[in-house]
Amino acid sequence: MSIMAYNGGACIVMTGKNCVAIASDLRFGIQQQTISNNFPKVYRINDKCFVGISGLVTDAQTLYQKIVFRHNLYKLREERDMSPSVVTNLIANMLYEKRFGPYFTEPLICGLEGPDNKPFISGMDLIGAMVATNDFLVVGTMTPAMYGVCETLYKPNMEKDELFETISQCMLSSLERDALSGWGAVVHIITPEEVVTKKLLGRQD
Amino acid sequence: MDSDYSFSLTTFSPSGKLVQIEHALQAAASGGSAIGIKAKNGVVLVTEKKLHSLVDVSSVQKIAMITENIGLVYAGMGPDSRVLIKKARKESEKYYKQYHEKIPVLQLVRELASIMQEYTQSGGVRPFGVSLLVSGYDEKGPHLYQVDPSGSYFAWKATAIGKNMVNSKTFLEKRYSDDLEIEDAIQTALNTLKEGFETQMTETNMELAIIGKNQKFEILSPSQIKDYLLNL
Amino acid sequence: MEELNRGGFTFDLCSRNTLLEKTGLKMPGFLKTGTTIVGVVYKDGVVLGADTRATEGPIVADKNCEKIHYIADNIYCCGAGTAADTEMTTALISSKLKLHKLSTGKEPRVVTALTMLKQMLFKYQGHVSAALILGGIDINGPSLHTIYPHGSTDQLPYVTMGSGSLAAMAVFEAKYKTDMTRDEAIQLVAEAISSGVFNDLGSGSNVDVTVIAKEGVTVLRNYLTPNERKFRGPEYIFPIGTTPVLSKLVAPLSSKVIIEDVVMS
Repeated sequence: MSIMAYNGGACIVMTGKNCVAIASDLRFGIQQQTISNNFPKVYRINDKCFVGISGLVTDAQTLYQKIVFRHNLYKLREERDMSPSVVTNLIANMLYEKRFGPYFTEPLICGLEGPDNKPFISGMDLIGAMVATNDFLVVGTMTPAMYGVCETLYKPNMEKDELFETISQCMLSSLERDALSGWGAVVHIITPEEVVTKKLLGRQD
Repeated sequence: MDSDYSFSLTTFSPSGKLVQIEHALQAAASGGSAIGIKAKNGVVLVTEKKLHSLVDVSSVQKIAMITENIGLVYAGMGPDSRVLIKKARKESEKYYKQYHEKIPVLQLVRELASIMQEYTQSGGVRPFGVSLLVSGYDEKGPHLYQVDPSGSYFAWKATAIGKNMVNSKTFLEKRYSDDLEIEDAIQTALNTLKEGFETQMTETNMELAIIGKNQKFEILSPSQIKDYLLNL
Repeated sequence: MEELNRGGFTFDLCSRNTLLEKTGLKMPGFLKTGTTIVGVVYKDGVVLGADTRATEGPIVADKNCEKIHYIADNIYCCGAGTAADTEMTTALISSKLKLHKLSTGKEPRVVTALTMLKQMLFKYQGHVSAALILGGIDINGPSLHTIYPHGSTDQLPYVTMGSGSLAAMAVFEAKYKTDMTRDEAIQLVAEAISSGVFNDLGSGSNVDVTVIAKEGVTVLRNYLTPNERKFRGPEYIFPIGTTPVLSKLVAPLSSKVIIEDVVMS
């Protein structure tokens, strides 16, 4: 078993028209045994930036704490929030510093960039090789399934409600065939006005 | 007496002064004068470059570029300024590499100020014998800062350091207005500098640099300066 | 208290990771560029080319990534190997070269970038796995180099690297000629990359080209897009409310939250 699948978990980010969405499953397990069915992998950095971290949960939590630490210092020094692209570069540098002894995590970053709230998504591998696209990104235990449904269901410029349905269906469909992730899901839709968080009903097995 | 306490950098005199810092300030204040003016759409820096007539003037640079959008000029000891310029450039690059975003002018100024402060409190070192004028343009618009050997920094609309700073500041007070455009600011800066000149001001015994919204920090060539001097 | 911005690598997780590996857990692979990258010297410049596929094992992780990296205004570098290594190595050398340029006040030379890169890669004894093609123009005219992950380099008029290097080299060997024009060179590079895109599984998607000439640099991002997605639809539309929702929470932006003082009784 790969260490990246030790605790299970899956995460998707997707762009819409003036909005972005991030979804994760809720399972936290140790190999085949489920420990918790209410364990989101998405973390809020600020109003306009969320990160989802898949992989080994101990590393994900440590990484998250370090991101928050750096973000708090940045806020005190510069009196502003980090933009999603700055968060991406910061995390990439933090991960690459551990190039020869990495955290076993793959982060996804999403948010709204700049004064005109341009949708932004990015992701990276466990040593900080950035992937930047403008449609969707996935990480976790069932990436082949997730890529498949996303390639089929995604279309550009979706409104926030449509984006919610699409990302939710992508998540729930791939969870149907993923033993290591599941137990429901959580979706955040980030718009310039508000952040809507919805918990989804998913299979409990 | 205060001077009894100048033996050590880090010993306060009974009147509450650190005399070495005052001496450093004196070193900066007796350097060649430098003037900075913040306009609506940019910043201008000018400085006199007083050299022996046998020195090759093209080998001496008093204004330095730090990044594409930040530059600085010093008054005081040249060798000390080079240390700070090197550190400023490195700090800007570090910031860019970390965040992939240009360093805001204020962040660089703070970094420089904290380096200068460190040299007023550490053992085995002396304070920097320079004052700096840092100019730049970032997301928040044009900026002009002064940094002193003590590590204190100030944001100015227009100011002067080095020799004649008192007179120059009085002159600037009269000439400055809030709706100055960059071209007007250049004229004002040159006029202010000219007031303090003992000899004829030419394109070779001074330096001029500008930074604007859509213009990278640029140190003007002698021929470009000559054009401005002709129109003065 | 952790020290910030100290630079360099840290190895504090290495022993834990080896321990985890001993328990039988498999270590994950890194994002690779797979890659076909090429470069050609023509009459008055250099043309660099690259495909745009990034892979993680058999999965295409990025369909349109950028493999031609900026080093300086007159120098660019194609990267193959571990994606993070090529990205970070070129960014580091670009940064160092910018400082070098500021302190010398001169345009950086290609050999300066070359020496910095090879010294860094040699220092890490091949563990930083970046295979690079460095091209640029300076006072000595155009030049083109390859740099291997262990730090060895060579200089040739036409070069290829990455998993698609054989496919691309086949094209070069058949069609390269000396003193090509700019258009001929771009054409040849595009053909060599296309050969990698279609014959090597590690390479794919689009062709990126960068031309470095004395007059300046032309970045031709997605010069060819032979693999555009043709079929999408009929669209799948899920009516609003399809997905069963257990709970909904609307959080307004913190800037829109009003905090009022309440007088304590």
